[in-house]
Amino acid sequence: MSHSTVPRSKVEAETTEKSPVAPGGATGSREKQRPDKVSLRLRFRRDRVLLLMTLPAVLLVLLFNYVPILGNVVAFQDYDPYISDNGVVSMLNSPFVGLENFQRIFEDSAFWNAVQNTLVLFFLQLVLFFPIPILLALLINSVIRPRVRAVAQAVLYLPHFFSWVLVIAVFQQLFGGAGIFSQLLRQHGYDGLDFMTDPDTFKFLITAQSVWKDAGWGIIVFLAALSSVSPDLYEAAAMDGANRWRRMWHVTLPALRPVIALLLVLRVGDALTVGFEQILLQRDMVGPGASEVLDTFVWWTGVRNQDFGYAAAAGLVKGVVSLGLVLAANKVAHLMGEQGVYKK
Amino acid sequence: MTPNAASASSGPSRRSFLASTAVATAAVAGGMPLLAACGGSDSGSREGATSGKDAKKLLPAFVATNVVTPDIPSKNGSAVGFTSKLDLADLKTSVPKKLGKGGKVTIMSPFWGSPPKGNNAYYTAMNDLIGVDVAWQNQDGNTYDQKLGAVLASSKVPDMVVIPGWNMGGKIPSAIIGKFADLGPYLSGDKVKEYPNLAAIPTDAWQRCIFGGKLRGLPMPASYVPNIVPLYRKDIFDEEGYELPTSADEFMALAKDITNARAKRWACGDMKWTAFNAWGVLSGSEKPLGWNLVDGKLVYRVETEEFLEALEWTRKLFAAGVVHPDFKLGKSQAVDPSTKFAAGEFLIYNNDISSWYGQQASQATQNKKFRISGMDIFGHDGGDPSIFATMPANIFAFINKGASESVIRDALAVANVTAAPYGTKEYMLTNYGVEGTHYTVKDGVPVKNDKGNQEAINAYVMVASPAPTLAHPDLPDITREQVEWQQRMGAFTKKSTFYGMQITEPTRYTNLSNDFEQLEDDITRGRKKISDMQQAVSDWKSKGGDKLRDWYQKLLDENGSAAN
Repeated sequence: MSHSTVPRSKVEAETTEKSPVAPGGATGSREKQRPDKVSLRLRFRRDRVLLLMTLPAVLLVLLFNYVPILGNVVAFQDYDPYISDNGVVSMLNSPFVGLENFQRIFEDSAFWNAVQNTLVLFFLQLVLFFPIPILLALLINSVIRPRVRAVAQAVLYLPHFFSWVLVIAVFQQLFGGAGIFSQLLRQHGYDGLDFMTDPDTFKFLITAQSVWKDAGWGIIVFLAALSSVSPDLYEAAAMDGANRWRRMWHVTLPALRPVIALLLVLRVGDALTVGFEQILLQRDMVGPGASEVLDTFVWWTGVRNQDFGYAAAAGLVKGVVSLGLVLAANKVAHLMGEQGVYKK
Repeated sequence: MTPNAASASSGPSRRSFLASTAVATAAVAGGMPLLAACGGSDSGSREGATSGKDAKKLLPAFVATNVVTPDIPSKNGSAVGFTSKLDLADLKTSVPKKLGKGGKVTIMSPFWGSPPKGNNAYYTAMNDLIGVDVAWQNQDGNTYDQKLGAVLASSKVPDMVVIPGWNMGGKIPSAIIGKFADLGPYLSGDKVKEYPNLAAIPTDAWQRCIFGGKLRGLPMPASYVPNIVPLYRKDIFDEEGYELPTSADEFMALAKDITNARAKRWACGDMKWTAFNAWGVLSGSEKPLGWNLVDGKLVYRVETEEFLEALEWTRKLFAAGVVHPDFKLGKSQAVDPSTKFAAGEFLIYNNDISSWYGQQASQATQNKKFRISGMDIFGHDGGDPSIFATMPANIFAFINKGASESVIRDALAVANVTAAPYGTKEYMLTNYGVEGTHYTVKDGVPVKNDKGNQEAINAYVMVASPAPTLAHPDLPDITREQVEWQQRMGAFTKKSTFYGMQITEPTRYTNLSNDFEQLEDDITRGRKKISDMQQAVSDWKSKGGDKLRDWYQKLLDENGSAAN
């Protein structure tokens, strides 16, 4: 669900850009409005090539992002996909149950447990994960020799291309109960430590895995922003007597600010999506009590138990909350003077 | 369980079974449709069971075939055993005339291991023999339940779909009834005689194929003696002089004796399923088996003292540090335990009886000393164990409702070949492949080569099978031990009230018991307490468990018990 909010806001951004300047402005706006109003057809004709070129993309967005939204109707049904050979026919024939699925969700302790785990993980990752790519980017940016820099970048990017299965297997071999680390401890007369099956530290484990896998990949966008900073600024600052920290504080970080704000807004919009495959793979190691998040909850009840209506209702709740979060975060970004995801 | 005979790689099937029983087991139990149910055609009510007179009308006639006399006949519900050498020149033919009409049949089936290429020598030879062009859609067996629901909900259901009973969770029973063909017109009564090998499948396995008041499945018959064996490393036991435990306390003492974590040796894996058997807990392999009539009242397995005691004992094993750390990972073990078992990292673990043979066969060339065996299930207090039976068929093949008669006939032709009994050409081809290509014969013993282990596994054996057979002429000692284990354990095996029935629970209850298996694993691994289980059971009662009890009671009143 949360994915569909992004294209939607993009579409919104496009339309707002094209629409006439907001009224209430200077007198000039009135002059502008008149030609716009009369020339809607003219504008179509004028822009028809451009419009035609956007058509395929718009169709794809409609087909794959908007049409499936209609499927959310099963959230209000006791949906049984097996009563006919066609999903749509099944949808038409499944009995409507009103808000019963939602009522069940709000009474379901497993759902609230998933919500809690999701939020805790989100905040942990925000605090422990989000700053790391920025620090890494600053570090890489300070490396002058291109060779060293290329090697460092390659090493940092690489884990991103490993699948979660592999990452978890590697962690298991290193930190599992029979892993290298535990065995080393045992050989020196200590008790083995099993990081992989401890529900109390599971959320830190998950975050550590994410950092190891994706922090390197996350620096790309910051590096791009850093490369756009004109060296003149550093030179000028240095001339004025600014030391390294001053230059970072007054030149580098302000250059990164819009990017950080944008990514933060996007991250908040995705707050309820904290890693599906990664968690599903490790769900049994610590039990659902510590590991179930909203996405795995939806998957478990929907796909695994075929309780589609119930799962759709949970997914819908998640989508609505995510939309609210992204709008709120964007608002905050605007208040701080940043562009955020879209302009007003 | 012929697929097991095929290769060691069926080991994972057991794991997946363990993994999913409580969660996924569907509730289609056996017997006859409820009165309310049988009035309907496909669109009618889907709950209930079919048995008694109604079932008799549907069931195929039984015509025994005696192609080869088994060396060890079936006793106490065991499989029949074949241990002697095989004269390949003297193989019988059970399908004299090709029944296939050359049509194309697509089959979706769970597959454990890596599926071979589509046009391999084994598939070609099988298709030639049957006279049908079978196209396989193999899916990973361990995650089959995750795809099944989606495939059955689509408009493109394959011509044939193989569904293990432990994958029948949630609304899958409803899908089976809604999407698959009634085979009654082709197989009921004497009609089955057109397919002699299908006619030789025991009736109690067919009884399990009645879904929604119609005969819809083709069964893989199984012994009702529980298939989970506490397997152990006999070679190391003999070397170290360990004695087999005869009570839960002895097991614990032995486990502590064996464990030396510093030297990377632990005593055992997760022994939960053996604990359930040692304490006489009702079977968890399928929901209807979990109910039993005690003093005139139906009890569910989680409500019993024995269930809690078995969990507590398993928890103590974990807490004592005698369980290999990999098993703390639960179902998602990153590593196949069989390699660590072979490496001697632990000496005892639960697995399907098929891996008794499979493990020994796969180690034959790598570790000559390796010797696996199965220990008898002990009574927890040192007395005789009290074991509850599993179902006499757990894997079924279904034919798409939309299939034309010629496709259905072709699919049945496939089944008639795969169900050929031991000692026939069809059995050899189905289970071993082509002589010279997939296996070689030395002194009357067929031994699969690498190509055979790659190709001649898992696929055709899933469609339908002969009566439970254990035949491994290459390892006659193992075969004998397997059958004798089943016979000894079979003597202690009882059938619970709904044994043998195919029961479809009402959909509002199908997910009621989903969380118990997870909770069991949380408790044994020390993440939750026994009191959490007691709480969950009382929640279960109030959320519908008591109503479900009434529903089963009604089913019992109307249909009677199939167990005796």
